[in-house]
Amino acid sequence: MNNREVFSVLGIFDSAQSLMRAIPEVKSGAAAKLEAYTPYPVHGLDEALGLRKSPIAGMVLVMAVIGSIAALGLEFWTSGVDYPQVTAGKPYFSWEAFVPIMFELTVLFAAFTAGLGMLLLLNRLPFFRHPMLAARSMPLITRDKFALAVEAGGKTIDVEEISALLRDSGAASVEVVESPPVHGLASPRFFFRVLIAIAIACCVAGYATYWAMKLFPKAIPMVHMLDQPRLGPQQGNTFFTDGSGMRMPVEGTVSRISIPYTVDEQEDPSAMGNPLPRTAPVLGRGRQLFNDYCSVCHGILGNGETTLTAAYEAKPTNLLSKNIAALTDGSMYHVIMKGKNSMPSYSADLSQDERWAVLHYVRVLQRALDAKDEDVSSAQKE
Amino acid sequence: MKPEAVLEKLKPAPVITGHVRLGDLDDQLLTPVGEKPPLAWFIAFAMTSTATLIGMALIGYTIATGIGVWGNNIPVAWAFDIINFVFWVGIGHAGTLISAILLLFRARWRNGVSRFAEAMTIFAVICATLFPLIHVGRPWLAFWLGPYPNQRGIWPNFRSPLLWDVFAVNTYFLVSLLFWYIGLIPDIASMRDRAANKIRKFVYSALSLGWRGASRHWRHYEKAYLIIAGLATGLVLSVHSVVSFDFAVSLVPGWHMTIFPPYFVAGAIFAGFAMVVMAMVVVRRTMRLEHLITDYHLEVMNKVILACSCLMGYAYLLEGFTAWYSMNDYIHHTFLQYIFGTYWWAGWLTITCNILIPQLLWFKWFRTKYFGMIFVSLSVTVGMWFERFVIIVSSLHEDFLPSSWHIYMPTYVDYGILLGSFGLFFTLVLLFARVLPVIATTEMKMVLPGSQPHREGGSHE
Ligand code: HEC
Repeated sequence: MNNREVFSVLGIFDSAQSLMRAIPEVKSGAAAKLEAYTPYPVHGLDEALGLRKSPIAGMVLVMAVIGSIAALGLEFWTSGVDYPQVTAGKPYFSWEAFVPIMFELTVLFAAFTAGLGMLLLLNRLPFFRHPMLAARSMPLITRDKFALAVEAGGKTIDVEEISALLRDSGAASVEVVESPPVHGLASPRFFFRVLIAIAIACCVAGYATYWAMKLFPKAIPMVHMLDQPRLGPQQGNTFFTDGSGMRMPVEGTVSRISIPYTVDEQEDPSAMGNPLPRTAPVLGRGRQLFNDYCSVCHGILGNGETTLTAAYEAKPTNLLSKNIAALTDGSMYHVIMKGKNSMPSYSADLSQDERWAVLHYVRVLQRALDAKDEDVSSAQKE
Repeated sequence: MKPEAVLEKLKPAPVITGHVRLGDLDDQLLTPVGEKPPLAWFIAFAMTSTATLIGMALIGYTIATGIGVWGNNIPVAWAFDIINFVFWVGIGHAGTLISAILLLFRARWRNGVSRFAEAMTIFAVICATLFPLIHVGRPWLAFWLGPYPNQRGIWPNFRSPLLWDVFAVNTYFLVSLLFWYIGLIPDIASMRDRAANKIRKFVYSALSLGWRGASRHWRHYEKAYLIIAGLATGLVLSVHSVVSFDFAVSLVPGWHMTIFPPYFVAGAIFAGFAMVVMAMVVVRRTMRLEHLITDYHLEVMNKVILACSCLMGYAYLLEGFTAWYSMNDYIHHTFLQYIFGTYWWAGWLTITCNILIPQLLWFKWFRTKYFGMIFVSLSVTVGMWFERFVIIVSSLHEDFLPSSWHIYMPTYVDYGILLGSFGLFFTLVLLFARVLPVIATTEMKMVLPGSQPHREGGSHE
């Protein structure tokens, strides 16, 4: 046998006691590195082999602190800086409420540092090609036998001498463990290939799901509440006898913003003055309401160029004409309230202030027909 | 009595009876794994998997139609789903308690039952997380619960106990899984070395990560295991406290009480131990492990159940006291609802099953005989489920506004999903018993007499 290929010489012991007894003897007899393999942790073995204390506790402590700081930072930044919301009258940085999650993340970080740090970092697992795993005595070790290994560590060792030493110190049998040749399928490379394949499969599945949800948003169960059984405005419905889905308010219902209007045909409405100031917001509102409510009939400029077809037989007044311009605001207000001939009443659609705002805008339209230089500058001043 | 006799009596009973050698443990615990299961296993599996399928079908129906198919309606917005969630999380806690807290207390008897209890924890938490997941209605959007940067520019509310719950339960699941897996690694290595079948050998090899029992590994392993146990101890207390915050932090009368966290933790351990006792009796009988899970084990667990039952009795009394002392009409009303209201029978069932029946465990006969302990454990399981029913449904169904009072009635879908969760739990338990060792073989080796040098009787960890 080529000595270079020897990984270690194993002495197999029947009990933990005999293993412990052998260690000092073998230690003084062989200058090589010693390692013990046991089916369960044997106490006192670390000291006998002269192993240092495990540094895992320190690692865990550091990561636990990082975990709690990370949790606090996340909670502070999200609920205090990036998305500040007042919840239950608490301040943005209500640290008391952040404690539970801080605790959980501390434990999470610490536990995974302990677990994965021990496995991956300190013990360098997974390691499937370790020569020991191919040893004949491995099944005995995981069962009930104890092994003391004298490891070559890349150097040449005298197998005969060490075997004799182990036997002398009480080993029931001795095995020489070789560095095995690299072999194909059950190698760690295969294992990692499987892992990578699983990862790729996960990505593909995730991507496919993403596109499925994007392309077929109405596929059950992803309807995203688009399917809502309800009646739209003006929709018919067989439930009510009149066949209409819309319901009228009961007789005598008073609108919340209604203000009694007592002026009638006999009285002169022209006495009413426009109570609203002529400011930009009022005019803006007036324009919007005019466009919404009046422009269909009176035209977008108020010049009577209606968008209605001939089926609407009446001719809406040109609001820019001389005699309309001569009307007082009060009289026009009365028309909006009561309607005139074919012009319907707008008392239900517009509130009091909105009516006056519309009239301000009508005045603007009238003036704009015959705008003067000073209007432009005064408009800019406003 | 002579002092020697007293001392003799005080000595803990042996955790393993009879003469057992290291190798015997492997033969006995690892051989059944992977062999063709007996007929009884197939019958049990057929039953549990049918129940699981019924549950899954009804969950599918719920998701496709909406949670309107359940009985929940305002004001009883939380009902079976949250009851089952709290119930299952609670069952899980016994596992962590046995494996972690008793490890720290150096209670050596725990080695025999820890693996099974830990597995139960994981399966119970899987059943538990199912319920909030389907209760959100659109489970495929459940990731919205997590804090991740999104185009909506919003973040979850970290002041909400429901979000604490998300973190607590997920942490609990991950850490339990890690703890369980790390405990399993040496056992899986033994399985690897015993496996004759090529596929099995490959799977166990991969799972064992190439564990070879080197002392340089053991020294980190033991330390890490102990640290995770310590962390899990804090976790088991925190998780059920956080679950109780879901209730206690709200302003609902009957929920807004400071007793809730300890009361919930005690209840969780209570229910969990009952489940462990039932399962251990079955395992011990079917796998002939009377010498490893001894009468002493079962008796100790029954004593824990008795202690928890007394704690629960105290908590119930205190709930009544708090209600009376609060001088608040709403809290008075809610408490009276528990015992004299619409669901009075649930209240009395809770008290009977959780407080009165477990008192039988004062008698040694009930602590040591299968019939006695199964009877008590079953009653505890039923009682603890109804306790959550009382807390949730009785408190909610008559809230502040009499106009919105509503009598809650579960639908067949509710019952079916509950059945399904039991089915899922036991299906997983049955599968587990076929592929992994139900008893922590390596840990048992450590407590075998004479397994440790220098010390007689062996030490633990
Ligand atoms: C359905 C079409 C219609 C709409 C909408 C409409 N009107 Fe008229 N309006 C008319 C018609 C038609 C007349 C002519 C009535 C007449 O003199 O016979 C008229 C007349 C008028 C007059 C002149 C009244 C007079 O004394 O001669 C004013 C002022 C007026 N409308 C203002 C408005 C305002 C302000 C609005 C928006 C709130 C509006 N109208 C919306 C059809 C409409």
